[in-house]
Amino acid sequence: MSTAVEVDDLSFAHTAADLPALGRVSFRVPAGESVALLGPSGAGKTTLLALLDGRLQGWSGRVSVLGAPLDPDRPPPSVRRPDTGFVFQEFALVERSSVLRNVLNGRLGRMSPLRALMGSPTKHDLEIARTALADCGIADLAERRVDSLSGGQRQRVVIARCLAQEPRLILADEPVSNLDPARAGEILALLAGAAQARGATALFSSHQPDLARRFAQRIIGIRGGRIAFDVPTSELNEDATAELYREVEPIPGIGLRAVS
Amino acid sequence: MAFRGFGGFTTSGLIAAAILWSFATTDVELSRLMSAGPRIADFLGRMFPPDPTVMAEIKKGSAETLRIAILGTLGAVILSVPLGILASETMVSPAVFRPIRTLLAFIRAIPLILVAMLMVGAVGLGPLPGIIAVAFHATGMLAKFYAEAIDGVSRAPIAALESAGAGPLVRLRYAIWPQMAPVVARDTIFRFELNLRESLILGIVGAGGIGFYIQTYVRSFQYDKAASVTIAVVVMVIAIEAINVALRRRFA
Repeated sequence: MSTAVEVDDLSFAHTAADLPALGRVSFRVPAGESVALLGPSGAGKTTLLALLDGRLQGWSGRVSVLGAPLDPDRPPPSVRRPDTGFVFQEFALVERSSVLRNVLNGRLGRMSPLRALMGSPTKHDLEIARTALADCGIADLAERRVDSLSGGQRQRVVIARCLAQEPRLILADEPVSNLDPARAGEILALLAGAAQARGATALFSSHQPDLARRFAQRIIGIRGGRIAFDVPTSELNEDATAELYREVEPIPGIGLRAVS
Repeated sequence: MAFRGFGGFTTSGLIAAAILWSFATTDVELSRLMSAGPRIADFLGRMFPPDPTVMAEIKKGSAETLRIAILGTLGAVILSVPLGILASETMVSPAVFRPIRTLLAFIRAIPLILVAMLMVGAVGLGPLPGIIAVAFHATGMLAKFYAEAIDGVSRAPIAALESAGAGPLVRLRYAIWPQMAPVVARDTIFRFELNLRESLILGIVGAGGIGFYIQTYVRSFQYDKAASVTIAVVVMVIAIEAINVALRRRFA
């Protein structure tokens, strides 16, 4: 089986970026697997996911995403970016645009720049966007403006935008932290199901152990920017989980700030 | 809060002193105001009934005022796009936006009528000095508004489009512009309304428009005609405001 994500001895400390640091992180995710990053706020989950998405520079170590190495000093070329989809914790939707427009925004990297600028998606693009909307159960909201939606509906739009991108790797940053427990289960089931149906690898972060356990095949515990454990879900034990949430000690020599 | 304690006492004293100073040194002759009753009545009497024969002048003057406002606003928009970018905190460094903002504050501080007088001196009578004056004066406010519109754009959707593989122009079109467009449209319409109101009086200093007729009729004691023009101005201002309120609602 090929490897979707390969991280070797990754360290990152960037005080200006206002993000938690990472220290000597190594792990590997085979293609098609669903993995949860579990840890308290400020553990470095967002940092790690944004870094894998090619949005952070200035790290050290070796990182490979979908078979291609990331450059620690510059973002990946835009042709590679659509292959990695990101579900943003803060949604990052264009509030004044329609739901369909926002989902089509996920297609922009798959279109020629000229077609994207002209604002004329092909039938194929529209079909994929409509399918993503239907898969997320929001086909009837297509023409609504995002600023008229509830938090749960927005979360579905963000996932639909990510699916419309047709990513081979889905990175989801706390995709359910804004939702009540019932909704959270629903949305994670949707995300995990859609990833599986598309044969995509999924890496999602969560601070809730029970949700991580239900939807991931494997769980990586992160604490203070370091990997605390990396186990198949069936082997996750309560003590290790409890240990994750003890008070965080900063990595020596690095100014660690707790930012969710 | 401001009027409590010693500080409040000092403030009250300063305000009282300012009022007394103004009265004492301005020669306000209350007796003259008392005896002016009949003369004011006479003056109003001469304005009434307004002379309706000046419709042609009113049409010509308002059309010119409208043109001054339209072209002046266009000039202000053209100047405000680059200046707005240069005055934005998120686009350029403080070394650039601070002096540009100070410059814009200076421009805002110069009254339109003063700019118009200077422009009449520089390019002669007619609508041209009016247009230049409006464009210059309005830029002080519009460029500041544009800078605020740029700075108000949320960064997250831009990062999301970048993550999806969209290039800079595509991000501008789908993440930045949709956030800015309604603000820019609203601010521009608002500034156009102000330009139209303010340019109504530009004719008084010879910078074109309907104000020219008010000035001419008052100077030649044709108060009934001046009254007609004044009514036309009031009607125009109310109409502009009504149209503007309707337009702004569309960009909510």
